[in-house]
Amino acid sequence: MHENNEEEISRIKELESINLASPEIRDSVVSTKKSIEKENELLASKINTTLKTHNIKSFDIVGAIGAGKTEIISQIVEKLYTKYKILVICGDIITRVDANRIEAHNADTVQINTGRECALNAYHIHQIIKNKDLNKYDLLFIENVGNLICPSDFILGTDKRIVVVSITEGEWVIEKHPMLFKMSDIAVINKIDLKERLGTNVDKMINDAKRINPNIEIITTSAKKDTNIDKLISHMGL
Amino acid sequence: MKEELKKIELLLENPNKIQEVALKNILKSLFPKISNHIDNYIGDYPTFIEPVYLAENVQIGDDVLLGPNVYIGSNVKIGNYVELSNTIIFDNVSIGNNFKLENCLIAPNSHLNFENFKCKSSVLIGDAASEKDLRKIIF
Repeated sequence: MHENNEEEISRIKELESINLASPEIRDSVVSTKKSIEKENELLASKINTTLKTHNIKSFDIVGAIGAGKTEIISQIVEKLYTKYKILVICGDIITRVDANRIEAHNADTVQINTGRECALNAYHIHQIIKNKDLNKYDLLFIENVGNLICPSDFILGTDKRIVVVSITEGEWVIEKHPMLFKMSDIAVINKIDLKERLGTNVDKMINDAKRINPNIEIITTSAKKDTNIDKLISHMGL
Repeated sequence: MKEELKKIELLLENPNKIQEVALKNILKSLFPKISNHIDNYIGDYPTFIEPVYLAENVQIGDDVLLGPNVYIGSNVKIGNYVELSNTIIFDNVSIGNNFKLENCLIAPNSHLNFENFKCKSSVLIGDAASEKDLRKIIF
């Protein structure tokens, strides 16, 4: 393939839009994109099998920056660390802030800094679990990179996916990001302690989630105030 | 970590006499001791799966994935589209674009100035303008 075409494909993959491909390379770009998606699914399936073989329950937690993912995980770990041996994989563009926060609550952590990538993918998880002694753990949380868009591109092979939004993001946040809610098992509406002060229409958020995914379980929480975290743990089957 | 790195460097001084078992044992001992140290590189934002240790003056290209269990010595230059896992690179090394190395060691002062290279479980030594110029010891 001509060197200029290779560069263009690389650029387009970064931009994630096949519509930008010039006509002569469009087919290659589509084929590459499909291949990547399929590889991710295959690897995610392999990850799930590996975790199940080791009797490890697993959860992928997604949500925008500041929704409360880390605080929720920290609270759950604090409540469960005597019952489960817990590993938490944290995904962030940069820094080890979240892993450090969670470690303080007695879980092992691994930080992935994704650089320019806006979500974790199955390959990242595969690289970690193949280099870990999985016999040491029976519960895995994956805190995905903070946003409500990119994680929908890559399933990670966990038993369940939990999407976290907070009422501080506004009542239209669920309506505007249907894909992740379609792909999730549990929706957590966090920071419910601020409801009166902000006047956010939480009923609309719940209705939107149910309309997008009738099977999704919905829980309102306040991680800071420890409101309904026990209920969330129960919904997770832990 | 420094102790194990020193032992490996000593082994690499006599590449003809590298003992596979000794090398594997040192690596097994080394990997859990690699601490995360990644806030000092030159380049765009790579992906890091910890632990990754970067010494001084490490230059990293675009679309690079490092880790887990990677140590990179000082004055090392890494090209674009590189992936390293369970790999040790000693001081004063350069590697080209589109390298994927798993469970490899690159000896000090080696310059792998070519592209599109995949390798597992090998010691790589020397100045090489192409793969065929490269000294490769599989372990």
